[in-house]
Amino acid sequence: MTDSIDLRVNGQVRHLPLDPATPLLQVLRNDLCLNGPKYGCGLGQCGACSVLVEGRVARSCVISLGAVAGRDVVTLEGLGASGRLDPVQTAFIECQAAQCGYCLNGMIMTVRGLLNHCAQPSPDQIVGALKYNLCRCGTHVEILEAATLAAELDAAGVAPGGSE
Amino acid sequence: MSVPASSVDRPPLPGDFDALPGLLRYAVVVRPPDVAFHEGRFGCSRLLDIDHASLGEWATFTTVVEIANFVAVVAADPELARQAARRLRLHWTPPPLWDDHLGVGSERSDGRGAVVNRRRTDGMVRRYGWPNRLRWGERAGWVIADVSPARASLWVDTATPEALRGDLAALLSLAPAAIDFSSERSDQEETSLGRLACDDAAADAALVSRQVGAPVAIWLDADYQRDVDALGLAETWDVAASGGHTLDALALGYGAARPAPAMALLLTGLTEPAGAPAGRPARSPYRRANPVREGDESGRASDRVRVFAEESFLDEWSRQQASDPLDLRLRHLDDRRGQALIEAVRQRAAWHPKPTPDPVEGGVGLLTGRGFAYCHLPDAKGEWESGTRSAWIADVSVDPVTGSVQLTRMVVGQDAGEPVDRAALAAALRRQLLPESTLLLRHADGIDEWGELADASPPTLPAIDALTLDAGGHALPARVPDALAPNGTADSPVTMPLRLSAQTLAPGTAAIANALFDATGQRFREPPFTAARIRAGLRESTGGDARGARAASSVGRRRWRWVGAATASLISLGGAAAVGLPWKAAIDPVPRPAANLYSQATIERGRLVAEAGDCAVCHTASEGGATNVGGRAFETPFGTVYSTNITPDELTGIGRWPYAAFARAMRHGISRDGSHLYPAFPYTAFAKLSDTDLQSLYAYLMAQPAVASPAVDNQMRFPFNIRGLMAGWNLLYHDAKPFTPDPTRSALWNRGAYLAEGAGHCSACHSPRNALGAEKRGDDHFAGALVDGWEAPALSQLSKAPVPWSEAALYDYLRTGRAAHHGVAAGPMAPVVAGLGELPESDVRAIAHYVASFMPSAVDAAQASEIADHRLALSTATPPGFDAGERLYNGACASCHEGGDMPVYSRAETSLALNTNLHSARPDNVIQAILDGVVAPGSSAGSAGEMPGFRTDFSDSQLTALVSYLRARFAPDQPAWEHLSTTIGELRGASSP
Repeated sequence: MTDSIDLRVNGQVRHLPLDPATPLLQVLRNDLCLNGPKYGCGLGQCGACSVLVEGRVARSCVISLGAVAGRDVVTLEGLGASGRLDPVQTAFIECQAAQCGYCLNGMIMTVRGLLNHCAQPSPDQIVGALKYNLCRCGTHVEILEAATLAAELDAAGVAPGGSE
Repeated sequence: MSVPASSVDRPPLPGDFDALPGLLRYAVVVRPPDVAFHEGRFGCSRLLDIDHASLGEWATFTTVVEIANFVAVVAADPELARQAARRLRLHWTPPPLWDDHLGVGSERSDGRGAVVNRRRTDGMVRRYGWPNRLRWGERAGWVIADVSPARASLWVDTATPEALRGDLAALLSLAPAAIDFSSERSDQEETSLGRLACDDAAADAALVSRQVGAPVAIWLDADYQRDVDALGLAETWDVAASGGHTLDALALGYGAARPAPAMALLLTGLTEPAGAPAGRPARSPYRRANPVREGDESGRASDRVRVFAEESFLDEWSRQQASDPLDLRLRHLDDRRGQALIEAVRQRAAWHPKPTPDPVEGGVGLLTGRGFAYCHLPDAKGEWESGTRSAWIADVSVDPVTGSVQLTRMVVGQDAGEPVDRAALAAALRRQLLPESTLLLRHADGIDEWGELADASPPTLPAIDALTLDAGGHALPARVPDALAPNGTADSPVTMPLRLSAQTLAPGTAAIANALFDATGQRFREPPFTAARIRAGLRESTGGDARGARAASSVGRRRWRWVGAATASLISLGGAAAVGLPWKAAIDPVPRPAANLYSQATIERGRLVAEAGDCAVCHTASEGGATNVGGRAFETPFGTVYSTNITPDELTGIGRWPYAAFARAMRHGISRDGSHLYPAFPYTAFAKLSDTDLQSLYAYLMAQPAVASPAVDNQMRFPFNIRGLMAGWNLLYHDAKPFTPDPTRSALWNRGAYLAEGAGHCSACHSPRNALGAEKRGDDHFAGALVDGWEAPALSQLSKAPVPWSEAALYDYLRTGRAAHHGVAAGPMAPVVAGLGELPESDVRAIAHYVASFMPSAVDAAQASEIADHRLALSTATPPGFDAGERLYNGACASCHEGGDMPVYSRAETSLALNTNLHSARPDNVIQAILDGVVAPGSSAGSAGEMPGFRTDFSDSQLTALVSYLRARFAPDQPAWEHLSTTIGELRGASSP
């Protein structure tokens, strides 16, 4: 494949001379060294690989590179910056919503996707949004608390980086 | 019911008409099934009755305009008008008895046209004609009319505004001055060649506009070709002569005809066809050694057509006598100035006597020829001596593959008795020749045109030499500088742009026709000389006449007549062992054609044919393997067939196949060595390809890289391993006739049929086959079939799609690989969509239009949404008793296939409740998709719609549970699939990577 595929990753335009059928997750982790999205199941089932495409949550292991050509992709790395965290990240730290942490990328990105779409979600909507993100170590309660707090911080307009 | 939304984008309106969206109405005219205009008489089937009930709810949004036999459907939206016109049922009388009523096919009763035929049977008689409409128009677009009781304003690109103005004045009872035209073209040059059917569209729009009291737009496109065909010839001329080196007698017989006015006038009966315009008595400039009483030389004929007929005839005569056409004219011309002019033109063009036509080699593969024509016409006062003499030599080059003609050089001599500025003459020629040659030579719209490609080489201006005579009759030749601006007269003392009269241009058509004969050996006796007619003529000329054979050998690659006509004997299929096998001749191999033999345009056209036909899908063994080297296995009920190497490799590919062998394989399923091919290779469809497309495909394949890859031996079971049996199969099931358009259908439908039944070979997968592997026809056409482990769903009334397909949905699906209420193209259909992506949009639209005509009655967008909502509501309830399947679904599928409040980029757009495969009688496609996933056809075009495969994640029993659950939940009205675990086991084994 000699044709280059262009897309924007975390605000930066990338020219990738790769096979368009390559899964986006592999490109992000192996070619762009962005290890926020995790490899979980590889079948779009667990959600650990979630990223945002055009602000909408997407499972990067089942999306090919070609499918996001010309689009805007944001990974966990692009959500906030050091010292300027996204309110969702702030809330997850506040609530200490991690144990093993493998699912955390997916949880944070999914909550971000939810809040992009719906500023004040009901508890049912939060559960619905996270329903297909798997946590295997039992942190569900803390994660739901964090999501609720994230919605509040987001609504209150807490600037990124307001946690520390 | 709400107003159905337009499903097809409306092409933008010209001018400032888009500012009047609320006012403008759109009309679609419905012509009688039989219409003809012959020798000034008009006949058509008469309208008996309009079944307004057939419109149903559509009547609310549409108006039907009916005046005598003129019918139009009017609506506020073009798509609405089109749909309503399709629904409207009309009752017409049977066609009139043409033979009695109009005298078609019999001699004219007054004998005028036939007089020369009867008398001069010893000599040569030829008939020449001129059409009422040269073609439908120059390009597709809106024709708009706004008619009020006092005025009429039209947006139309007419080539003959005065004739149209006359028609509209009669049609609308308006003064000609109250009718005005505007168009995109600023340089409205009236042509002397004839009218276009855009005049008929304009009259249609004007009539409807007056009836509905609002501005009306009509879409002008190749559908108006039906009017061009119906209106026939405006004039015919019979010319006869006898004698030899010197003509003993030359007779001109005016074969009569009257020009046809706009179709709306004829259909409404508002006016009788107008008589021919009064003209002066026709007079030939040539002296006859032994003049006979001429047929009807006093007839009111137009000089243009008389000159065309006479000058073409003289060329034919001189060719037959093997004498030089210029010498022949000079021998019969008394006029000294005329002789001087012809001599001057002869010298300037370096014309050499060429008694027999012999094409001069142009570029590789091009035929070239030159032709001469002359005329002498009186001046405005009818004086001959001071009239205009005009002598033309035209040089043409003809591409025998596409049939397109280029004028390469024109030498034009003119003598009007007074000095004419040569630069101004050349400038006028430049200005007027291009539009005229465009009309004469332009591509016709054929069913084998490929969108923009057809116009890839628009006619360009030839080099023009203009020369005139001085007062003493001496030639004043001068090469006009090429830098001269088309309208500029910078280096000219004459400031007024010279406008050449129709008379001056009259010999041009004959000069081109004579040059075409010189190039092709074919005589074209009626303009326009479209690419399709040239191709048809060339086919005839390679069909055995000696001239054609010479042309073929001189260029060395046009021996395309196919060799070895089938002489198969009918065999009894029950007793195959006793059959004598018919034998087919091998076609000798030839050296691989040179890489530069074919033009880039031809190769590009061939590439589109290959994309439409998806050659590479079957002729490429594996993903990432070399394209077109063959070796892919096809499991059939008769054994395993392997595709072959179709790269131009000389040993293992088709590199040494002459075109004749390629064409025989494509049309008749016989390999170069004479052996039969199996119909897994869909030659039954490819036989429908036009010659031009087939030649282009050959050109394309020969231009690809050669890759050596030996054939894999087929493993066919007895008796199917006896290839000769296919002769009987072909006799029973194969029709090698090329595609013939259905005249009762639209151009769009016919184009779609050509693509879908020919190169596209849709039915090869989507039609069931009988016990001997032949596609079933009739009601079983497009009834769906099982191919290579996938089910090709029915495209007919048997379609199981939960939401019926509409033309718009089919278009979306074929163009983008997805349709809102149907989901994505998967499996073997994915590469088909990828191939279609290379085709022009209009072609994909045509295929959608054609396929939709087989589907159950389409629903509009609102109804489709309603059905979809209903199906979704049905599928929310989880069926009891499928717990294992439900758990698997929630774990593996739901994250993408369940809806939710939050938008998810990677979620499947279309609910499984709308998935055709889950509603099918067979579970094959569902199982295939779960085993190996779905590769989005447009993945490189930026779409999601992919699905991972779960082959290694699910056991057979898990798959059985999951598929049972899917069927029960998403297709609750369908019975459970039987023998699921068996099918799963088979598919997993068969398609194991």
